[in-house]
Amino acid sequence: MTGVTELHKEEKRDITLRVFRFNPQVDSKPYFDDYTIQTEKGITVLRSLNYIKEHVDASVSFRAFCQAGICGSCGMRINGISKLACTTQVWDELEKAREPGVIKIEPLRNMPLIKDLIVDMDPLVDKMKHYSNWVESRMPEHDMGKKEFLVSEEEFLKYDKATDCILCASCVSECTILRAHKEYVSPAVLLKSYRMNVDSRDAIHDVRLGELVKDHGVWDCTHCYRCQETCVKHIPIMDAIHGIREDALEVRGARDTSGAKHAEAFMEDIEKKGKLVEATLPIRTNGIAWTLQNLLPMAMKMIMKRRTPPPPPLVKPAKGMKKFRELFREMTEHVKAEQKSHKK
Amino acid sequence: MKRYAYYLSCINESMTKEVDRSIDLWQNDLGIEMVKLHESTCCGGSNLDYVSPKHFALVNGRNIALAEKLGLDLVVSCNTCLMTIRTAKKKLDESPDLKKEVNDLLKKEGLEYKGTSNVRHLLWVLAEDVGFEAIRQKVRVPLNKYRIAPFYGCHILRPSTVLGKDDPLDPSSLDKLIEALGGTSLPYEHKNRCCGFHTLLVAEEESLNVAAEALEEAIQIKADFIVTPCPLCHTVLDGYQAKALKQAHIQSSIPVFHLSEMVGLALGYTDKQLGIKRHIVS
Amino acid sequence: MKPFDIVIVGGGGAGLYAAMEAMKTNPSLNIAVLSKVYPNRSHTSAAQGGANAALANKAKDDTVELHIFDTIKGSDYLADQDAVEILCSEAPKIIRELDNIGTPWSRLDDNTIAQRPFGGAGRPRCCYCADKTGHTILQTLYEQCLKKGVFFFNEYFALNLSVNGSRMKGLVAMNIKTGKVEAFPARTVILATGGYAKMYWNRSSNAAGNTGDGQAIAYRAGIPLKDMEFVQFHPTGLRKSGLLVTEGARGEGGYLINKDGERFMSRYAPEKMELGPRDLVSRSLETEILQGRGFDSPAGKYIHLDLTHLGADLIKSRLPQIREMSMYFEGVDPIEEPIPVRPTAHYSMGGIDTDNFGRTVMDGVYSAGESACVSVHGANRLGGNSLLDILVFGRIAGRAAAEEARKFEPSQITEQEVRDTEALLRSYMQPSGHFERYGALREELGQTLANNVGIYREASKIHKGIAEIHDLRERFRHVRVFDTSDVYNTNLLQVLELKNMLDLAETVAAGALAREESRGSHTRTDFPVRDDEKWHKHTLATLDGDSVRLGEKPVIMGRYELQERTY
Repeated sequence: MTGVTELHKEEKRDITLRVFRFNPQVDSKPYFDDYTIQTEKGITVLRSLNYIKEHVDASVSFRAFCQAGICGSCGMRINGISKLACTTQVWDELEKAREPGVIKIEPLRNMPLIKDLIVDMDPLVDKMKHYSNWVESRMPEHDMGKKEFLVSEEEFLKYDKATDCILCASCVSECTILRAHKEYVSPAVLLKSYRMNVDSRDAIHDVRLGELVKDHGVWDCTHCYRCQETCVKHIPIMDAIHGIREDALEVRGARDTSGAKHAEAFMEDIEKKGKLVEATLPIRTNGIAWTLQNLLPMAMKMIMKRRTPPPPPLVKPAKGMKKFRELFREMTEHVKAEQKSHKK
Repeated sequence: MKRYAYYLSCINESMTKEVDRSIDLWQNDLGIEMVKLHESTCCGGSNLDYVSPKHFALVNGRNIALAEKLGLDLVVSCNTCLMTIRTAKKKLDESPDLKKEVNDLLKKEGLEYKGTSNVRHLLWVLAEDVGFEAIRQKVRVPLNKYRIAPFYGCHILRPSTVLGKDDPLDPSSLDKLIEALGGTSLPYEHKNRCCGFHTLLVAEEESLNVAAEALEEAIQIKADFIVTPCPLCHTVLDGYQAKALKQAHIQSSIPVFHLSEMVGLALGYTDKQLGIKRHIVS
Repeated sequence: MKPFDIVIVGGGGAGLYAAMEAMKTNPSLNIAVLSKVYPNRSHTSAAQGGANAALANKAKDDTVELHIFDTIKGSDYLADQDAVEILCSEAPKIIRELDNIGTPWSRLDDNTIAQRPFGGAGRPRCCYCADKTGHTILQTLYEQCLKKGVFFFNEYFALNLSVNGSRMKGLVAMNIKTGKVEAFPARTVILATGGYAKMYWNRSSNAAGNTGDGQAIAYRAGIPLKDMEFVQFHPTGLRKSGLLVTEGARGEGGYLINKDGERFMSRYAPEKMELGPRDLVSRSLETEILQGRGFDSPAGKYIHLDLTHLGADLIKSRLPQIREMSMYFEGVDPIEEPIPVRPTAHYSMGGIDTDNFGRTVMDGVYSAGESACVSVHGANRLGGNSLLDILVFGRIAGRAAAEEARKFEPSQITEQEVRDTEALLRSYMQPSGHFERYGALREELGQTLANNVGIYREASKIHKGIAEIHDLRERFRHVRVFDTSDVYNTNLLQVLELKNMLDLAETVAAGALAREESRGSHTRTDFPVRDDEKWHKHTLATLDGDSVRLGEKPVIMGRYELQERTY
């Protein structure tokens, strides 16, 4: 019988939610409140917060709406990671707690704070507008509603995952570059932009791409994969970002940016030497003037420390380069042939 | 003596020569041998994949095939090379067509990509093959006076669909290595974050802000040094440290060690032998 | 403040379509959309299954006429037939238009929009995008509204229509971010605030905010509500949370199984089986449970929804959200084991009484979507007709308001009215005489409704329910808002939503008591058959002083005569 009692005990536990608090009307700076409540197994973080609001402290403020993981309202950082409170199990979070039994709840980052766990979504909406995150229909106005577009399942699958996005802003909160610069386009908007750009019903692909390759656009992503790893809908966001880049390299005009040049320099080096020529990468990415102004002082320091071979670069090519180069060029022919047949 | 094929990363061939130099020093002490693949080529960073997916598969299929020819696992000591080569491996393993196209070309060099060699980070080899307990026993100069901030970097963790060893947002293997070497591994919020390297030349201001944040926390928690398993992270955190901290108006500094150097120190090698003098921040 | 030509309350499918159409009809109009959540959060996003339209992509012999018949029959002949004709004949146009502006749709082999079978429909005519149809439609509409530059007031809570006698002057609303009450003088107002089924609280699949705000606002302004007693129970809510498992799961071939391992629907709808109409399937589940053939658990009795025979591939590609929800909220992977389900309050057929153009009895006030009752769903809505309703009638109301706005003279809302409203809100925060916690009242309201005005109803129970609602309304007078801050006061919001639910609960119970028959979703155990002679009519609920006055309105008939409804 003791076994059963113990089991029951395990099904219920006292837990502490350490909740970020800030009311701009009275607080000069944020602080944390600890709420210790009894919860049972199977309870979500959102239900715990609801319980606290109804029974302990009605002033704790957070957004919640559908409570079923589809509206995206209750994004917050739970034990340091951005996620939806409504789909997060308390029991799972206890395992990740740094302090035993304590779950830390904070607002999403990278967006202006309004109160407690509530942040301002307007900057994200503004970016969706800036990057034309909508389909500009190819259907003439007078034909609207009269006929369908024919869309292959293959095309639908290109944007299927991307349209899972519920704009919960977890990726926005986790983004490395957005944290470093608030003008950055942000992962959710890149995802939506990609989704629009692969849609054959859309007519403004080039306009959107033109914006995306500018400063604070697609080339500023640092490939940290935090967005993808924290996406509550498991959307491969980096595939979308790479997709836009691939597109940008193919479209004339969009390739004349430092990001595109940087990417292509890799290709060039591998073909020539099999190795990346790090020392000249800055010049090829940003031009000589930028390099002299920005990197010369550091380069001098590095040369003094013998960290990099002094220019001209003396990178030793990889062994057996001759054969390798042949293979590499043959693959280039494959790709060209494929592109030709695609155009047909 | 367990043998591995060792991939030569471009950065370790130029900017961070001290990485391979220190591994050379201590590999035998831990019962492992790295057979350098001098014919290997640049993995394409995280760029070649979208610049030309086909070349990406060819180049890295070839890098792995070189290891397979020796019948050894491929060991990498740069995070981005690791992520890149593993991504290529995943694509080759999942697409018979791509694999065939690549192999038809590789045949001309007498190579074949079979998918038999695993692609692993040096840290994983230490954790899984050598083992923390064995490492603990080999330590000659325990790092017990050091408080160490472990900076994992991104591409040893994420995407987890490609890497999949440590928890992508809450890793622990480097912490365990530090403890095995006698050091104190500090709780460090930025341990799973980004160094900013991959945008350094495209968006410098942003990259330096990213680096400054990681450095600032390490300074705040009074770490004696940061350790990283990635030479690219090292390049930013060490090489660009002065510039980053200046941009963030922080007047302090903190040394940054390579994983291989930290192991070397604990195994009794000197700064000079390990090439630590080559660092910008001392 | 310069009066708006149109103020749309609600940013779901109906509100956004209305905004889009109004801008198209007359781009020079001054239009605002108010929403208590960011529009992309609206509950439209939760509609998983799809929208019906006789495109005949899948079944080549499908016609608008068949769709009309299915809808009328499904409504248990309480729908207005002229309204149903509009709904069904506009359907293909609206689905194509959504396709034209970028809504992603699953596709058939010939690259046309995919369609699947749905409950109560004679042909597979439900157009879908995996199991995220509502979500993707809402995203598309929001994107298009951003493109058109619609002026959004996000996170504004609508409080009241400002009315002078029978003349509407505009809307009074609270800016949630500042706590300030603001006036929106307007020539026309479109209430598109969604349904009221959340009054069943934990026995409801609805979002926490589906509290019938628009219906309560209209009711308080003297506008009649229609057919409020008709609340649809969805057969398959998750056992613990009431959250919904879409009908798509049965459309794709899922089985309902009782504890004896029987596919019991063979007893109730031998032909349609699991794809019978919702009211019938819900009653069947409830009967199985009441007669002891349900499974037992601490979280209550339930039935199995079994998808395991469909295979992992189909479940992953066609029903990914269902799988995710089952895992998050029940800890069950439907690939491996059956999902525990029971009926859950899901949809409100009743709502603000409107004509076929969304007009109410008050000049300048329109309503569309679930907040309105045109009526196209009558006593029971067919699956796949709710998205269609909000889209078709959202568009119609938007166009009507745009064409008629200039007929109404603008007037101003006084400062005094704004200040008085603000003072009323503040009064909830005063400690003296205010001690009741809203959470308890809300919970009790849900319980009493589920127990007394739920799937099976009878006079004695409904009387009990009415008494309890009355008691709860008394206690509400002492409710306390403990959070005294202005900025984003969610405590105050939830209290105001509770007030709306309490106001409406009375109309639901009153209608249920009056209607002495069983029709569609409304089942009286003491009057088990449909009584066309006495009750083939709509009920109207109007606020009279402090209580409900019931009236009636004839059902518009057309081609289809009354028939017994069997499946």
